[in-house]
Amino acid sequence: MTAPDPKTAWRQYQKQAGTPDITVGLAASFTIDPLEPYLGAHLLGKKLHPEFSQAPFNQLQQLCLNHTYAVGDPDVIVLLWRIEDLFGAKLAATLDAADALPALLDDIRQFAASIAQLRRNFAGTLIVSTPPFPSLPGFSALELAAPAMQVYTSAAQTWAQETAKIDRLRVLDLQALMMEHGAQQANDARKWQLYRQPYSETFWQAIGTQAGRIIAAEKIAPKKCVILDLDNTLWGGVIGEDGLGGIALGDEFPGRAFRDFQRYLMHLKSKGVMLAVASKNNPEDAYEVFDKHDAMVLSRRDIVAFEINWESKVDSIKRIAAKLNIGLDALVFVDDNPKETGEVQERLPAVTCILVPEELADLPALLSETDLFDTLQITDEDRKRTEMMAADQQRSAVQETMSEEDFRKSLQLKIDIFAAEKQHLARITQLVNKTNQFNLTTIRRTQDEIEQLAASQDSLVLGMTIADKYGDYGLVGVAILSKNGTTADIDTLLMSCRVLGRGAEETFIAQLAAAAASLGCTGLRGKYIATAKNDMVKDLYARFKFATDGDGWILKTADAAGIPAHIDASLRLPQSPIPDKNKEGKK
Amino acid sequence: MADALIELFADVLQVEAGALNDNSSPDSVRQWDSLAAMHLVAAIEDKFKIQLSTKEIMKMSSIGLARKTLQDKNVKV
Repeated sequence: MTAPDPKTAWRQYQKQAGTPDITVGLAASFTIDPLEPYLGAHLLGKKLHPEFSQAPFNQLQQLCLNHTYAVGDPDVIVLLWRIEDLFGAKLAATLDAADALPALLDDIRQFAASIAQLRRNFAGTLIVSTPPFPSLPGFSALELAAPAMQVYTSAAQTWAQETAKIDRLRVLDLQALMMEHGAQQANDARKWQLYRQPYSETFWQAIGTQAGRIIAAEKIAPKKCVILDLDNTLWGGVIGEDGLGGIALGDEFPGRAFRDFQRYLMHLKSKGVMLAVASKNNPEDAYEVFDKHDAMVLSRRDIVAFEINWESKVDSIKRIAAKLNIGLDALVFVDDNPKETGEVQERLPAVTCILVPEELADLPALLSETDLFDTLQITDEDRKRTEMMAADQQRSAVQETMSEEDFRKSLQLKIDIFAAEKQHLARITQLVNKTNQFNLTTIRRTQDEIEQLAASQDSLVLGMTIADKYGDYGLVGVAILSKNGTTADIDTLLMSCRVLGRGAEETFIAQLAAAAASLGCTGLRGKYIATAKNDMVKDLYARFKFATDGDGWILKTADAAGIPAHIDASLRLPQSPIPDKNKEGKK
Repeated sequence: MADALIELFADVLQVEAGALNDNSSPDSVRQWDSLAAMHLVAAIEDKFKIQLSTKEIMKMSSIGLARKTLQDKNVKV
């Protein structure tokens, strides 16, 4: 499949006057015009419909002070800069005088402070480049005895340190991109001289793709699980025929390619991507490799679900999705057999299928070169996902051996509900933006907006963490209350589906009543806003004895039901912590 | 008439091909500003698989002159 040429695709899109769903402001210390078609085409490929505005040429300081004047108030600002454009004279001076460096670094610090100011003024997504190695006559990494490399390293480091302090700054690593492409390929001296535009078309395309990946990662949920074939995918050869000593896995090619692929899979796991196996094999043969082969990087503990049998992979994949309770669209399936990937693609089109490449040297980078797992923030919940799934499986195994009530009691559930602080905001934002099913209002918000609500006297952002004797679920529930006279409006109420049915809903509602009281309210008022996915909570307020007034659901805080006896609940609010006085049946 | 060069200019400048001829220049076509010139160079290099020198780019101050520059480089336009 050949993708249409990005420039053509972009021009065609521009001709149909559609409604944009994302606005992007572009600014640079050089002419940034050529970025538009490449970034535009990349976003179109991700089903986003951008509209661009451009800041006047090389007016970055003005942009930082007053972005609305320069680019309006877009959803995203992309800002690219080079040391030689902004601080050319001071940069050149460092080549001749050793004591010229501090003055350059001062300027760089000041520019970072301007970016921090822009961050404070601008609520949307802010993407700022790293400075690439300068393209300046005489400033060469290869010129003998010239301090160019040292100067650049100090400048780049100063920039990195200063901007690391800025919240939610997305970094477009122009220097890394240039290393990847090679400075010779990236720069185009003619265009710089003629148009104040430094880069070749291929490099603009690379910048467009990278900026597009960052923007898309804010909007598009990353894949959650990779389902792997075994023979000729995790190792070379067929375990059932070649035996433990006969498969290729280890230091020597082709075994090295498979080992390196496994290492990348471990890296994905550390980012929170779950790994599962779907293989046509005898289970004992396959497990033997995991348990006994010296060169295996992955152990059985790293795999959340095994489907090793002689049935169709379509069925195996469906079972894995059901077991992990995730949608088929969150799955990536990797296999060396085009018949398998073809069948899965045809019967489960939502699954992303990837074929092991013919050239095995390309296997280790197979998944790193995709944007399937692009994510901007990795929370503790992500890192612990595989362990949490293992705890889930233990719970289910125990659950089958006892009555529902005994099982609930045996869990020793602890539920802590608390006013959100800074360290919780990333996870809360993640839940607010991706929870679909147990979500009463499905109001999406940026981290900034949530932070503002958390800081306000008239609203409360509450997080809920749950733990039981098998492990920690982490932060799995969010509620936002806003004071409206003597009533507290439940602006947001959501929970991860993994924790439902064990008393978490009851506890959350009971504690919301207590939290409302702390805002000086005597009533709670909830709303259910129907979406295609949140049918499961349409009767939630009725279940908890809220009375409908046609538009919303009302409950007097004094009438709220208590917390189930088997739950060890706590509520922590700012200033005046409320004791658990509405807890019934104390142990 | 499908003149590849005129088509290319029309496409980049976003004007009707019929409105352009070899005499068209930045003076006669409002859309042909310096940014458009930059896009024209990129489009010409891409379409004809050539690389232009700054001298050649500077010479291309009308469609006719662009045609002549390209013909000098053995591009059939």
